[in-house]
Amino acid sequence: MSQVEKKVGLLRRSSSSKKPLKEKVVLMYDEIFAKEDPSKHNPRFWDELFLMKVNLEYLESKLESVDGEEVQRIQDNINSLFHHCVQALGEEHQIKVVNALQTLCALFRGVHQKNKSSSGFDIINMLMGFDKAELRMKDLMESLDSLLCGDGSESLKSLCLKLLLCLVTVTDNISQNTILEYVMINSIFEAILQILSDVSSRGQHGYDAVVLLALLVNYRKYESVNPYIVKLSIVDDEPTLDGMGMVVHHALTEYSRQYKAKEEENQGGFFSTLTTMVGNMFIADADEKLSVQTNEAILLALYEAVHLNRNFITVLAQSHPEIDMGVTSITPSPTTPPTPLGTSPPSLDAMNNQEQLTLDPNLQTSNLLITFLKYASIVMQDTKEEHRLNSARLCLIILTCIAEDQYADSFLHDDNMNFRVNLHKMPMRHRKKGVDKNIPCRPLVCAVLDLMVEFIVTHMMKEFPMDLYMRCVQIIHKLICYQKKCRIRLHYTWRELWSALINLLKFLLSNETTLLAKHNIFHLALLVVNLFNMFITYGDTFLPTSNSYDELYYEVVRMHQVFDNLYCMVLRVSTNTGQWKEPASKVTHSLVNVRAIINHFNPKIESYAAVNHISQLSEEQVLEVVRTNYDTLTLKLQDGLDQFERYSEQPREAAFFKELVRSISLNVRRNVSLSTMSQDLLLKEFSTIS
Amino acid sequence: MADTEVSLSPALHTLHLSPAHSSTSPATTFSCPSSPSSSSYSSCSESSSDYHHHHHHHHHRPRPPLQRPRLPPGSDLGSSPSASPRSSSPSGSVDSSSDSCPSPEDLPPDSDVVSPVIDPAVALRACQEVLLKVKLQSGEVPADYPGCTSPPPERSPEEEEQQEEESEEQQQEEEEEDQTTCLPSSPQEVVVTPSPSSSSSSSSKQSLLLRLFESKLFDVSMAISYMYKSKEPGVQAYLGNRLFGFPDDQVDFFLPQLLHMYVHMDPDLGDALQPYLVHRCGASVSFCLLSAWLLAACCSDSSLSAHRRSRGARLRRLILAPPLGHGPPDPGPSGPSGPQPRTHRRAHSGLGAEPDGPASRRSHQRSKSDTTAAGERPYEEAERVRPQRDFLRALVSIGRRLARLPSKEQRSARLSAELRLLNLSLPGRVWLPTAARPHHVVRLPPRQAVVLNSKDKAPYLLYVEVLDCEDLQTSALPLRIPETRLHHAHSAEELAPAGHAGSCSPGGQSSAPAGHAGSCSPGGLSSAPAVHAGSCSPGGLSSAAAVHAGSCSLGNLSAVVNYDDDDEAWATDDLGQLRVEGGSSDDLTSQFSVDSSTENAEPVYIAAGDIRRRLSESLARPPSSFRRDPEDPSALALKEPWAEKVRRIRESSPYGSLPTWRLLSVIVKCGDDLRQELVASQVLTQLQSIWALERVPLWVKPYKILVMSSDSGMIEPLVNAVSLHQVKKQSQLSLLDYFLQEHGSSSSEGFLSAQRNFVYSCAAYSLLCYLLQVKDRHNGNILLDSEGHLIHIDFGFILSSSPRNLGFETSAFKLTAEFVDVMGGALGDMFVYYKVLLLQGLLAARKHMDKILNIVEIMQQGSPLPCLQGPGSLRGLKERFLLSLTEEQLQLQVERMVEASLRSVTTRLYDGFQYLTNGIM
Repeated sequence: MSQVEKKVGLLRRSSSSKKPLKEKVVLMYDEIFAKEDPSKHNPRFWDELFLMKVNLEYLESKLESVDGEEVQRIQDNINSLFHHCVQALGEEHQIKVVNALQTLCALFRGVHQKNKSSSGFDIINMLMGFDKAELRMKDLMESLDSLLCGDGSESLKSLCLKLLLCLVTVTDNISQNTILEYVMINSIFEAILQILSDVSSRGQHGYDAVVLLALLVNYRKYESVNPYIVKLSIVDDEPTLDGMGMVVHHALTEYSRQYKAKEEENQGGFFSTLTTMVGNMFIADADEKLSVQTNEAILLALYEAVHLNRNFITVLAQSHPEIDMGVTSITPSPTTPPTPLGTSPPSLDAMNNQEQLTLDPNLQTSNLLITFLKYASIVMQDTKEEHRLNSARLCLIILTCIAEDQYADSFLHDDNMNFRVNLHKMPMRHRKKGVDKNIPCRPLVCAVLDLMVEFIVTHMMKEFPMDLYMRCVQIIHKLICYQKKCRIRLHYTWRELWSALINLLKFLLSNETTLLAKHNIFHLALLVVNLFNMFITYGDTFLPTSNSYDELYYEVVRMHQVFDNLYCMVLRVSTNTGQWKEPASKVTHSLVNVRAIINHFNPKIESYAAVNHISQLSEEQVLEVVRTNYDTLTLKLQDGLDQFERYSEQPREAAFFKELVRSISLNVRRNVSLSTMSQDLLLKEFSTIS
Repeated sequence: MADTEVSLSPALHTLHLSPAHSSTSPATTFSCPSSPSSSSYSSCSESSSDYHHHHHHHHHRPRPPLQRPRLPPGSDLGSSPSASPRSSSPSGSVDSSSDSCPSPEDLPPDSDVVSPVIDPAVALRACQEVLLKVKLQSGEVPADYPGCTSPPPERSPEEEEQQEEESEEQQQEEEEEDQTTCLPSSPQEVVVTPSPSSSSSSSSKQSLLLRLFESKLFDVSMAISYMYKSKEPGVQAYLGNRLFGFPDDQVDFFLPQLLHMYVHMDPDLGDALQPYLVHRCGASVSFCLLSAWLLAACCSDSSLSAHRRSRGARLRRLILAPPLGHGPPDPGPSGPSGPQPRTHRRAHSGLGAEPDGPASRRSHQRSKSDTTAAGERPYEEAERVRPQRDFLRALVSIGRRLARLPSKEQRSARLSAELRLLNLSLPGRVWLPTAARPHHVVRLPPRQAVVLNSKDKAPYLLYVEVLDCEDLQTSALPLRIPETRLHHAHSAEELAPAGHAGSCSPGGQSSAPAGHAGSCSPGGLSSAPAVHAGSCSPGGLSSAAAVHAGSCSLGNLSAVVNYDDDDEAWATDDLGQLRVEGGSSDDLTSQFSVDSSTENAEPVYIAAGDIRRRLSESLARPPSSFRRDPEDPSALALKEPWAEKVRRIRESSPYGSLPTWRLLSVIVKCGDDLRQELVASQVLTQLQSIWALERVPLWVKPYKILVMSSDSGMIEPLVNAVSLHQVKKQSQLSLLDYFLQEHGSSSSEGFLSAQRNFVYSCAAYSLLCYLLQVKDRHNGNILLDSEGHLIHIDFGFILSSSPRNLGFETSAFKLTAEFVDVMGGALGDMFVYYKVLLLQGLLAARKHMDKILNIVEIMQQGSPLPCLQGPGSLRGLKERFLLSLTEEQLQLQVERMVEASLRSVTTRLYDGFQYLTNGIM
């Protein structure tokens, strides 16, 4: 619990303490924290307690202030409180259920704040008592499950999810949260799925459900068998997977939309300010800080789904008309729902009402993958900040998984599925913005390649994101492997890719010393050169035109300086002894064909120029020379060009995900607590019901 | 005729005792023109039952009651279904008709607007008339039919029966086989004064008429024709009853005419038709829906008078209404749908009528019919028709939504998105009305559908996966298989042999069962063995083994590589596959080291020139496939051979492994009135049967048209056919060169048979175009199928209508120089044969011109269709049969027409058409 909140709590308490009388509930809390059994004098104590409005701040701070010895003293009462909370969940009286849920929330949080240092077992003991813990948690999970799946109030369901989120995130490291062991045993997976499969509940609780699922999946991921992982990997129910996709889709779309609005605002100008003003009237006030971080949880959920569930891949490609985000109730962040709980409008959903799709002809048909690519193009623009870097990395990991999946590849390359994908491009000095109006309709893989090229071009900087570059080039490699294997001739402007890659090599060369201090640049160089080798030796299987093969040679010959320099450099390093000897020598070997091409054609071009007395050959002339001189060039076939290492999360990525989950936990905890505090409306709803 | 058995079954006896219960309203006793009224029951069964049974015994089809039995609640006739005519036939019809008489309280809730099914007076009149006619056969009452009227002599029932029996006996020899249902004698009729107008008199002429009606030659076409021409309610009623005797499918053909007459002609005729229509609608849901749609189209005509419109609307409501307002849905009077009610109800629960509890949500079933948002339902739709109507409405509304999108791209993308959604909520018991065999739709492969070329409207071609079934209504519904199941179905073991056969097969390349496993299968590449995999042959480049990573099986991949085939979807096998691609190269590739820079094997060299050459060679596309064209997405989809498409979709479908799986396709149109197309298609079908009858080898391909309203409908697409426009645009060849390219050299078997097909079809469509004056014959409206047949589509401008700004096309039919070239030139034998065929076809058509004329004639009545406007349209059609010409003259005329058509290509000034139609020789 952050300090700020505590202060808020204290402040409120002090302000209310101006009144001579304490709230009754506070008095009752005090009774619990006294030695005696509170029901001793008042048999109806627990009944009454849950009729009182919960004072979360007080309860939490009270728990916090209990020190070691006191714990022993009051443990029975706390156990009893917990027990009665769980019992109250089964009450018909919804006020009691609400209060019990909130009390439980406060219990979990308060206990953890107090016992930051103490072990999970102590916490369990303090809350439930060791001997009863299993039973209590079973009851609790069953009650939550039936509340989530039942026909009860939506705000109640929301509160259940909040409680679960609260429970899951009480520790910084989710794997140290021992109570979750019981959540593993008493799975609420099915309840989460049901929320996702139902249109209306998905609209209201989808976000929380997806985040909860993503977190649960990451509990002791690498150490034990996590039932949520197992279950998530075998879900094949279409509406459910679809629903999950929709939630992710909405969240990412909303982020993109807000980013765009912000961007326009920053660009200034009379019209843009005007439009932003108008725009702001429709945007909920949630856009205070537009940080990528808020979507890490969703991104993690997307990753887990793509990585674990083979069926989810189909969801990526399932297109649906883009839904006007202005009206939906899905929030971009878990911070605050746009509307008070229980009053959110029913979500607009494609499946809900087909007629909804009808009216706006300008709506683009989209799918989750497109949304994701757009989002990634924004996130990857700026990787300086740590959260953004993490998000960008996660995006690239997801893309890696996608590029490895045969089915995903098949629809990425499907000629029948053409889309116009407007990726965000960073404004840069040397290029104009706003060419994106004329993006042709192409298979989706073109957008992926565009995104990769864009990243390569825009991140050659001192703080070189080596890891991201590696992933980027590997993604391209995987896609090309697929094209080669299936002989797909993609009509893509490969030239842009080639020149981006050559520029990358150039950058590596010119910053050799600084980069070598931190990274193994030879590995990246090898990957890049091998991409060229793919084109050179297997170009006949996937290049779209015969001209494109000539252009490849032209580009290599034109930029021969870079390859020459690279060769010199790797030769130099590989002849020295040292840690880079081995990797550098691999690069020298891989350069054999490129060098053969350069050595073959350069003299020919020079002599052509000499014979024809031309100082500067035009591109067409060079291409002509290339075309006429293929036959005397022999290339060496290199092995394994079309093979790649498959992505595996463990062990390489484990540390990254651990950190990511920690950061998400912190974020979710912060945000969940805020919303649980203000449940006045909820109470109002139920007090009017009863 | 002989046996006169028939004793009443016990069930019938109980029925006999019960008319008092059922026939609560005497007003309706006459509702069935051909059956004795219930109030006369006792007398009927006592005095004349013998006769009746004797008579009815000759029905080939038992006469079903005209109105399904409607039992008042609590009626002790609860057992009546068991006594339904079918089960108790032949004698049952007499009795069941008694309880089939609708009584007011049994009518649908809005019965205040629904008139009794049949006007009793008319019915009575009809009966009398028929009787009279029978009498007239014995020449008793000579009179001019139908003009003169004379009151019928009053006589006792006995006498009359006597009379009738006599006359029947007279006839027996002639009509032993064809004795039909409809000469009932109601003992009551004597009581009622016969209407003065009708019951007349007749002459030998009328007797002839009856003899014709009773003769073997009398078919549906004639029945309908007479129904249209005769103003005699009696004849109409007779013919209306006669319809029951014809096979369903024959009558079905004329359904548009029947309904058109119902709406546009005298109420009398409508009354005569209604029993039949209602009966059929009760028996068959698809018939019911077809009728409802056609009626909707008829009724939407603005020119229609309110009276007629309400008449049509009433019938529509009647047939769409639930079979019974209360109680269990009744199967209808009889017929093949006997066991319908129970199974039907079962089907509904199967549809997912379960409550929306959490349980049902978790196990998602086919939802009942949530395909459309519950729009306005002006009246209670019967549950049995709702899913189907919703389904088709959803399809049409997709079309409407697509039309609002500006570009083809957007439309295509939107279409697949919409279909995916529809897939998720596909109702259980739905089918494509354009298909012949009963089936259930199980899936609409979303990415296969294509938007067709049209500027402001958005017709689209939809592929539909169906499972065949025994009966639409009674067969068990197929289980829904989730899309994702596919990945599991194709397990890892299967992946290896199946390889990437699916995913890699290009659109056009059909026959080769390509797969990575058999890496050397013939394809464009086999000539140039690719030896990318190094160590396979130390010798180097000349190895014949194609080891280009095993994937060289396919020549042409630049076109559509369709990824719906996702049998390889699961990625974990990738690594293995990447290493082992292709079974044959297994051992070779396994030697490869993953590390590309270690060189323990002998280095392999390849010539850059080879790579470049292979690239350009493989890019030289095999001719049979089309490029993808974003502006014309349908070209590619249509060009793909149907069998190939079926195979491809089958592989990618979770239902594909089921034996009853079939692929159907349909074009959904909205914004167009297809009724004109329907007329053209009917004419085409008639011509086809005429030519088949006369053994003229002319070839036409009628296609199914489904009219759903005055501005929407469906068309059955022709498979394996692309438009001439697409052929030209894609191939950039002349038609003859295209034929040579597709079918082989000019002396090859393939070419010759294609040429023959071309001639047969070209001649046939030339005649059709001439007879119907089909306009707007541009290359987009003329298709070429894979066997060389020419097929005309789009009959938007026929008869008297022509496209506004084009004026009229001057030639009788479209015959371009290119067509003639395909036929071997203007002097070739085939061209001569073409003209011979034209003549033969015209002669045959002339011989049976009535069959064609009556279709058009009936539809002309009060029709708003532009093609039937003006008095000249029908006359012109008649004249074009050139009745007055001798065969020789006709031959000359054909020559002239051909020449004119040919010349009009070059000069465009020729007005031979005018010349011809004016009938001047």
